[in-house]
Amino acid sequence: MSAPSRVTAEKAYRPCLLAPAGSLEMAMAVVDAGADALYMGPLGWSRRPYESEMTDEDIHQAIDYANARGCEPRIVLNTFPSPLDMDAWLDKVRLFGGWGASGFIVTDIGAMPLIREILPDTQIHVSIGSGITNAWDGRFYEALGADLLIIPYRWGETQIDQLQNTSGIGIEVFLFETVQTGIICPGRCIMSSYLKFRDWNEGEGHANFHGSANRGAKECYRVCQTHWGHGTDDDDHKQQLKLRSDARLMLHQLPAFIDRGVQFFKLSGRERTTEMIRDLVCFYRKVIDAIQDGSQTDMRVYQDELDLLQQRWVKAKARRVGTLMARAKGYGEQKPGAAEHALVDLDGVRAHG
Amino acid sequence: MSIHNNKIELSTIELSTNIANPKQLRQCDISAYDAIYLGDFSCMDYPNNFCSHPELLADALAEIHGAGKKAYLRVYATPGNEDLPEVSELLDEAVKLPFDALEVHNLGVLRMLKERGNTTPIHLGVFGNLYTDATARVLKDYGVTRVYPNPELSLKEIVYIRDNTPVEVLFPVHGKIPLVISETCFIIENSQCATQKVNPSGKLVCDFPCNQDYWLNRSNGGWVLKDTGRMTLSGKDLCMIEHMPELIAQGLCCFYVQSHGESPEYVAETGRLYRAAIERALSDDALPGPSGLETLARLAKEGLCNGYYFEGAGQTYLGRDQVVGG
Repeated sequence: MSAPSRVTAEKAYRPCLLAPAGSLEMAMAVVDAGADALYMGPLGWSRRPYESEMTDEDIHQAIDYANARGCEPRIVLNTFPSPLDMDAWLDKVRLFGGWGASGFIVTDIGAMPLIREILPDTQIHVSIGSGITNAWDGRFYEALGADLLIIPYRWGETQIDQLQNTSGIGIEVFLFETVQTGIICPGRCIMSSYLKFRDWNEGEGHANFHGSANRGAKECYRVCQTHWGHGTDDDDHKQQLKLRSDARLMLHQLPAFIDRGVQFFKLSGRERTTEMIRDLVCFYRKVIDAIQDGSQTDMRVYQDELDLLQQRWVKAKARRVGTLMARAKGYGEQKPGAAEHALVDLDGVRAHG
Repeated sequence: MSIHNNKIELSTIELSTNIANPKQLRQCDISAYDAIYLGDFSCMDYPNNFCSHPELLADALAEIHGAGKKAYLRVYATPGNEDLPEVSELLDEAVKLPFDALEVHNLGVLRMLKERGNTTPIHLGVFGNLYTDATARVLKDYGVTRVYPNPELSLKEIVYIRDNTPVEVLFPVHGKIPLVISETCFIIENSQCATQKVNPSGKLVCDFPCNQDYWLNRSNGGWVLKDTGRMTLSGKDLCMIEHMPELIAQGLCCFYVQSHGESPEYVAETGRLYRAAIERALSDDALPGPSGLETLARLAKEGLCNGYYFEGAGQTYLGRDQVVGG
């Protein structure tokens, strides 16, 4: 039996908090902490390593748990499937839709109308991997039948106004502050798989994914977040740089975004600990509700609390990048200029690099 | 495509490359190519970029058509809202001219063209994220007649898309692989040589440090990438010259040499070698000739790779013997 949806039960505008679930435990925790909706990705289909994706059985349980409490379950199917795997991808849509998932987070343009054919009333979120850059992108996706468009981190009030003046598509915002420097490239980056990727093996649930995390292979190694030397051949001392700036948790933009009717506020972090995500959901639930009912619109009162959460976030992120780079260890060691090929066995998994 | 006695005819094969501006058009010997993609889609500020100088289009188009080649105009790949008026101005001029196609990466621009009733054929660019035949079918309704598949696709997947959609498939055979495109310039932000001048509206003023070759190196692992400012390319050059007979046997016919940021020598030599490889592959009685691999390796500072065509990570290389034998 489903409880009334926290997303749709009220006719009046209600900004929705969309929380991550990288495990069944996290799914239950974010529902209990007050998320309006949660998102989870099946093994191999949602651009995360296996430890942040869920088995079909766990997703089924999470859907039931969420629906029983009025929290809307969304499924992340945001890989670009191989054209040879499209039928398997659509089978996932049928499976999770049949179990009661109320929406899908998707990247592939061709897949969106196919979902709509299968589930006419489902909610289609355009994933950050679609790489939108302007308001007319919203118009494209609206015409394609998408319901919600997640906007880039760096977009502020001006860009939201421009989007709303150009398209009627719903707006979803990551709970990250704008980042203006570095290689800004969501949805348009295959650096990691150029350097290395690992296929899944049978024991991990799949053996048919090739390419980058974009396509469902094991993981993006976040090579943009490690240090690189940068310069010309003439530079004696190359600068050591990360390729992109770290995003910060959002706070001060929230009242203006809610004022503009942003429908979903999305918290990232399927790969974080359940405890951290639960605390973040509790924090943003409190902040959003206070803005919505007018009891607190001065975000400065939350600054100290946000700073502590940000410290935890950054520490966990650094640990995560370290783990991923360690997995990438041993790659790219071939001498430049050599025409060579190597298949390296790492931890018993077929790997390419 | 015209196939006679199970052979593709030379006249149906197209070898293309890219030319950013009039200076490069003057400097480069493009005689080996059948078609030219005009413009640098990664940066509107690049000097005299065809993408942002509509007044330069007519002369360039006349020159290329006069040489008996097709001309395609590239449109800026990542326009923000603030760039759309300039993009729109370019399109206004471009659709008045007899371009053989417009290359579009951004879906918002694609939508804009549809609402304008555009009739010029459209090619989807590499950053259009074409991974599936389902996507190709959606884009066909937007006037897309050719797609540049995402570089991550394997040869098998590309052939599948070609066989299951009504659009042509562009097949890059050589050059550095476009890996990332960004709306900001990494060189201007970080170069020790670039000046950090700011105009009255707060935007960084570019003095084109990208005229030099910039590289990203990670010593721990030996990774190398080429940084062209707003686009990051593979360190190694994609090279499929050893595999041209197999590609042609698969019925692929639109071949592309990615020469962004390369020298006139690179454009000319690469084109000449691939033209010869195509002719050799189509000839029944030709003796095996030198593949040109040594010359291409010399032009590739960081070496050669096959991209993802054989289902490996992008920077691996398989020679013909390894693929055929393997």
